[in-house]
Amino acid sequence: MAERQHTPTSAAEIADRVRRGSLSARFIIEDALARIESLNPKLNCYTEIMAQRARREADSVDAKIAAGIDPGPLAGVPFGVKDNYDVAQRVTTAGSIVNRRRPPAADDAVLIARLTRAGAVLTGTHNMDEYAYGFTTENAHYGSTHNPHDLDRSAGGSSGGSAAAVAAGLCSFALGTDTNGSIRVPSSFCGIFGLKPTFGRLPRTGTFPFVHDLDHLGHFACSSKDLATVYDAVQGFNPGDRACAERPRSLVGARLADPPEGEAVILDGWFDELADAQGRDAVTLVGDALGAQGRLTLPGAKRARAAAFVLTCAAAGNLHIEALRSHACEFDPATRDRMLAGTLVPAIFVLQAQRERESFRNEIAAAFSRHSLLIAPATPCSATLLGQATIRVAGADLPARANLGLLTQPLSFVGLPIVTVPVRNGAMPIGVQLIAPPWREDLALRAAACLERAGIVGACGTMSC
Amino acid sequence: MEPSEDDVRLLAALQKIAIAPGHMPGVIRNLVALGEQASLLFDPALDVLIEPSPVFRP
Repeated sequence: MAERQHTPTSAAEIADRVRRGSLSARFIIEDALARIESLNPKLNCYTEIMAQRARREADSVDAKIAAGIDPGPLAGVPFGVKDNYDVAQRVTTAGSIVNRRRPPAADDAVLIARLTRAGAVLTGTHNMDEYAYGFTTENAHYGSTHNPHDLDRSAGGSSGGSAAAVAAGLCSFALGTDTNGSIRVPSSFCGIFGLKPTFGRLPRTGTFPFVHDLDHLGHFACSSKDLATVYDAVQGFNPGDRACAERPRSLVGARLADPPEGEAVILDGWFDELADAQGRDAVTLVGDALGAQGRLTLPGAKRARAAAFVLTCAAAGNLHIEALRSHACEFDPATRDRMLAGTLVPAIFVLQAQRERESFRNEIAAAFSRHSLLIAPATPCSATLLGQATIRVAGADLPARANLGLLTQPLSFVGLPIVTVPVRNGAMPIGVQLIAPPWREDLALRAAACLERAGIVGACGTMSC
Repeated sequence: MEPSEDDVRLLAALQKIAIAPGHMPGVIRNLVALGEQASLLFDPALDVLIEPSPVFRP
């Protein structure tokens, strides 16, 4: 794939040029659609390309410009969404064929509606692991998504289609979801930026759930600036999500150049021992650039991961029990067997896992009383091969699909805001998690911007597919 | 300890689920993995005062 010479893919640059009238939204969208048509057959990241809608929305943006009306901070910027976001008049598959029985969505998901109001243009829906239960986007129904850096490798999951689409320049940003690492793992594998905000920050209204008390919405982009611009556009309370916090918006875009504040520290123990040499090296690079002082061990991380594992399986089984009773054969086999097991989990496991979460929250609160940012690798390794059954972690071979989230699960378990930043210190990129205290997404985003300015992190633009 | 197919059928019957024979090995494999993870939660035991009550906080 040749590097793009003329048409910008950065959301900030596109919006700026469209608002100034030097590029039309229609031009941008036609270019994006052509690129999708050309590359999606190789990548399999789109499950549906919405060309007609995209052209209509682009024309609407251009009409506003012609009328002297500001179309918004994301004017003409093409984006896509994971296939568990509602798009009006379309059945939300969530990567499953079981959902075909559901009626089409009446409305766009709240986040899509907010982005459309900000001038962004929806180009389609993205592939994912069935019901978001996996880390590789190898889907028995819709096929595997390929990593744009190496087509033989996984894009990560479960939001792998979204990450691959952004990494390949098919859209400027994409919405995903993260329950146990489903934004952070694909960010790491595809070499792009990802944001998983604090649990309760973004309303999940109009998205298909996986685990109610662990599901987060978030997004991918090729720069910290784009990440922040989109984040500012999607924030705000919505009563349709019972877990959405009634908090004021916390805009970050204008403060992105502010220097990082407080003390950063590298996470040791679980997060160091389960990373490979490339991941540890990436963390050191990031930690040195942010002036991290010393290392911190979270003794409860291993148990927190175990508790997240148990709760996720039980919750998924509970959510899908009717379908598992009536048509289990329609599930992706890898998902089905995990969910069936989840319906059989002893109650004592679940109760203990919930207590474990409370214990780990206390441990995290103590860590943030001394530090403002925690640094950890995002994945135990860089992108695995498609079909790869196991990964080597700390001297042991572990099933890949269930264990690529070893380093992300403990942290989403307690709902912390995290930015994943891409480091290119090997043949494939790898991600580093910048973990901030609850509601302080700004600290992680500012640290990401600082690292980007220093040239330590950056999305890898040219793909070879 | 690995649950037997009879164990799994009994548990599944409580949930009104009939697990197809072809699905049984995968279900047992996942139950074993769940048991291994859950075992980490009990040793050492958590302080008895740690509990996740849904308390209203300011």
